[in-house]
Amino acid sequence: MAEMTLLQAINTALHEEMARDEDVVVLGEDVGVNGGVFRATEGLYQKFGAERVMDTPLSESGIIGSAIGMAVYGLKPVPEIQFADFIYPAFDQIVSELAKMRYRSGGDFTSPVVVRTPYGGGIRGGHYHSQSPEAYFCHTPGLQVVIPSNPYDAKGLLKSAIRGEDPVIFMEPKKIYRAFKQDVPQEDYVIPIGPANVVRSGTDVSVFCYGSMVQVAEKAANKASEDGYQVEIVDLRTLYPLDIQTILNSVKKTGRAIVVYEAPKTCGYGAEIAATIAENAIEYLEAPIIRVAGLDTPFPYTLEYVYMPHPARVYRAIQDVLNF
Amino acid sequence: MPELTYRDALNEALREEMERDENVFILGEDVGFYQGSYKVSRGLLSEFGAERVKDTPIAEEVIIGSAIGAAMGGLRPVAELMTVNFSLLAMDQIINHAAKIHYMFNGQIKVPLVIRTPQGSGKQLGAQHSQQFETYFVHCPGLIVIAPATPADAKGLLKTAIRDDNPIVFLENQNLYGMKGEVPGHDFTLPIGKATVFKEGQDVTLIAYSNSLYIAQQAASELNKKGISAEIIDLRTLQPLDMETILASVEKTHRVVIVSEAWKTGNIAAEIAMRIQEAGFDLLDAPIQRVTAKDVPMPYNKHLEQAALPHAADVVDTVMAMA
Repeated sequence: MAEMTLLQAINTALHEEMARDEDVVVLGEDVGVNGGVFRATEGLYQKFGAERVMDTPLSESGIIGSAIGMAVYGLKPVPEIQFADFIYPAFDQIVSELAKMRYRSGGDFTSPVVVRTPYGGGIRGGHYHSQSPEAYFCHTPGLQVVIPSNPYDAKGLLKSAIRGEDPVIFMEPKKIYRAFKQDVPQEDYVIPIGPANVVRSGTDVSVFCYGSMVQVAEKAANKASEDGYQVEIVDLRTLYPLDIQTILNSVKKTGRAIVVYEAPKTCGYGAEIAATIAENAIEYLEAPIIRVAGLDTPFPYTLEYVYMPHPARVYRAIQDVLNF
Repeated sequence: MPELTYRDALNEALREEMERDENVFILGEDVGFYQGSYKVSRGLLSEFGAERVKDTPIAEEVIIGSAIGAAMGGLRPVAELMTVNFSLLAMDQIINHAAKIHYMFNGQIKVPLVIRTPQGSGKQLGAQHSQQFETYFVHCPGLIVIAPATPADAKGLLKTAIRDDNPIVFLENQNLYGMKGEVPGHDFTLPIGKATVFKEGQDVTLIAYSNSLYIAQQAASELNKKGISAEIIDLRTLQPLDMETILASVEKTHRVVIVSEAWKTGNIAAEIAMRIQEAGFDLLDAPIQRVTAKDVPMPYNKHLEQAALPHAADVVDTVMAMA
């Protein structure tokens, strides 16, 4: 075991997968000589060389397009989009090419590309460095969407993603890149894509969340436990495919559901999660499902902490579903 | 009232607005000399000249980027993207710029831009030319999203959109361009953000927009034969959503089916379902159902494509199972 941050866990997973499989390559803006703007790719260039760790021009469409070509050819590219806010210039490559390659070729070709990208607010990055665009990718068939919430999961999920045969949008909550350390095994392990994780067991309310929102939910749950209420927290880990069974099992037990996400509320992925619960388990619900989400505005620079779901807002939602 | 096709209703709206306001201009691929891939801009180049009807290179990012600049400078551009599928290339301009500029400059600058683009599926155009992206745009704060289903709505809403000071994604439906309907004459406008009760009913509310309105309409007449009276709501505007009209209907029927031709997961139908439950948890007698396209890239094969799309029979089956 070693104590590491989420960022170090990502870096470790990349080192291990590149050592394990010479087809794994990394590309992106400043990922090579500079080791990545957040240092996620630190040491890879020195260890594996310029052939496998490629600094690219500032051209997201080019980065993803090249990665797709490499993947179809048989490599396992792990492109980095420096901030998720910059992923929009690559939308055509992601939505119309990457997500569809397996289908359009009748299964003859796959495109095992893992697009790593830091996302989310809470770092005073303003509206071009704080966005959470996961809902776009969850609404795009052909993509898997993975978001870890802690160092242990980050390493295991990234290794799974790299070993898979299909494209993965791997979104890293940059607010908690260095927020805390956790014991992470030094040996090889993977966490399968798909299953959610019940990180806290409870009987009164279910909170569904992912990424940096898991920490927010934990704080709210601690406060609720002082009032005598047991909050169950389900960390989705994989957004698509969604682990509907674990979600429904939790709702059937607690009868109350809250979904927390930091993306804009309208058509955020929490709407899908909530609608899925309502469709399949409405008879178990004692109260309406509450969404605690980002606001329907561009991400604000000065009002960041009003915009972001914080523990007090989640705690209030817990009270609201309990008192309905 | 004159009968016009959906295409000609849009054309009339463009012509009237260009006559009314010399700041209105059109740009896009083949909108001028070729008069539009779907002939929506027919006759406008000869009438208003090349300064106001601009053929552009095949570069969607540039079309929208230039239009944003023109809008910031005081013009009222109507940019055409040949199909919504190509809007993906302009996503950065739309999401990061058009939608955010008004906020970024604290309201000092406006972006009165209308992006017209058709979407639709079911014509064997393959995975890359059969996509529907309304959810992407509705999820992006700062954009208004309109999706008219009838010729009259197409005209009335496009005119209002051009006069509005916000960036608007105006989603036409390529399968409806030839549809005819009565269209009020000169200077007919409709408000943004107002849904309409397309058909009144008592037993179940079918919520639809764009082409899914006609799926709902067909389902309603099938349901009628079975003694079930369906109310149909045509949303017309997807962002902002007219929750007042939706909830008034749910209060009456207590059952809701939302019909959309876009992919299921993350579909705007989930948002609508949640808003109904947030505002009227006790109103519902059955779980809200979503009838949508399947979560697959659209197949080219005719039968598979039809299997991936929602049909009236699916709506009927869903309603019957809700009893």
